[in-house]
Amino acid sequence: MKLKIVPNLFKNLFSKPMTVKFPHESIPIPDKYRGEHSYDIDKCISCGLCAKVCLNRAIEMVEAPPEYKDKYPKKYVKVDIGKCCFCGLCQDICPTDALKLTKNFFLSTFDKSTTIKEPFSDEIEKSMGSN
Amino acid sequence: MNDKVVVESISKNEYELFFGPAHPGSGNFSVKLKVDGEKIISARADPGYLHRGFEKLMEYRLPIQNAVLSDRLCVLEALNWNLAHAEAVDELMGTEIPERARYIRVIMAELSRIQSHIIWFGAFSIGTGFDTGFKMAFGYRDYILDLFEMITGGRVYPTGYICPGGVRRDLPDGSKEKILRVLDKVDKMVKLEVMENPAMVARTEGIGILKLSDAIRLGATGPVLRASGMKTDVRKDDPYEVYDRFDFEVPVRNEGDAYARYMIGIEEIKQSISIIKQTLNNIPDGDFIAKKFEKPKLNIKIPEGEVYVRNEISRGEAGIYMVSDGGGKPYRVKIRGPSFLHMISVLEFLLEGTQIADVPAIYWSLNICPADLDR
Repeated sequence: MKLKIVPNLFKNLFSKPMTVKFPHESIPIPDKYRGEHSYDIDKCISCGLCAKVCLNRAIEMVEAPPEYKDKYPKKYVKVDIGKCCFCGLCQDICPTDALKLTKNFFLSTFDKSTTIKEPFSDEIEKSMGSN
Repeated sequence: MNDKVVVESISKNEYELFFGPAHPGSGNFSVKLKVDGEKIISARADPGYLHRGFEKLMEYRLPIQNAVLSDRLCVLEALNWNLAHAEAVDELMGTEIPERARYIRVIMAELSRIQSHIIWFGAFSIGTGFDTGFKMAFGYRDYILDLFEMITGGRVYPTGYICPGGVRRDLPDGSKEKILRVLDKVDKMVKLEVMENPAMVARTEGIGILKLSDAIRLGATGPVLRASGMKTDVRKDDPYEVYDRFDFEVPVRNEGDAYARYMIGIEEIKQSISIIKQTLNNIPDGDFIAKKFEKPKLNIKIPEGEVYVRNEISRGEAGIYMVSDGGGKPYRVKIRGPSFLHMISVLEFLLEGTQIADVPAIYWSLNICPADLDR
């Protein structure tokens, strides 16, 4: 009974390890992975369903800052990833696919304020670039 | 004169020992042991470290949100609890579940059972000082987590994958081959385990014997009761989903000790593998969720009524009692976790009169989960 261990020992010596060396190689992430949100403000119709279905109340509908008020008069989605449980209900309920979950899982941070995703941050970046 | 000295020394040796909740081998749960030297005089379970108030939380949420919440009932077998919750809602609403969804539910529940049993083996190994077993178990468990990631989108938490009405996503392309490949790997691991580590046998054989009459009196279910010699399994006795279409055995042992419980777990992995293979061969095409639930809706009403659903999960018998008053949210949800009776009445009974060194072996042989005890 105990001698059965010996051939296994030699087999294990020359076999590949179960793990991968993470920063250099990683296992592929499947397509339906639920990671960080991506939000397309132009597709959003401001129905607010995602904020209602969110069970951690991580989604808040906020108004645009004054400089964008003309272009975006309604309320838009602000996500607090710190509260999010990545259930994907907001993605499923969205009628226009404006809110989606991406494959990005590098979300750890030292700064608490960075967990909040403002709806207009992309817009601000664009205008900064054009200036 | 001599007698008197001995009596005094015994009373000085008596002390209280805390096993958990921050003990590496206890897992968010503590047992207060009254010890005389190495011998345990009495044990008192001290739950409450992981209480999150699920029963109350569920009264404030819609069924689709409760499906997500039901993951957290037990981290190690989230999908089985998903299934129990979804069945309760389906029965209240009288939903017609598509055939394909029923088969996918069985596949996922059985995969979840296998990975839960593998964790059981790992925790039991490290509890009895067999470190290799722990690492091997968690290595092989990761293959199953890869499948969960592919199918549900998350490794540990499926977040309500089995939801009222069916399942949230269809099986992706090529998943049958991937599942079969992982099952082969698990099968290989089971064969390695069955080689029987002699140290493990020495630590567990004849330890923590639970007789059948005691097991029934203390309310044991699932593998603990089966290891004591009773042939019982909700999947056979009161079949839910499509379990009545599959051919599988219920492993039973008569010894009732820690080793018998461990071997029941290993046998059950083999049976689950055979169930999944049968399911994959017979899975029909079609919808994976009922039309009514295709997109999450906020205005679905649950008809008035009450229901009690029981499921066989890896730790024993899980029950969900749900009352609805006709609104969208359940009026009352009562959850019966199998670990409640295993960790309080059975554990206190088994620990009495044993040695300190046997505590982890008995503790982990019960396949406990503090999360579903405290809820």
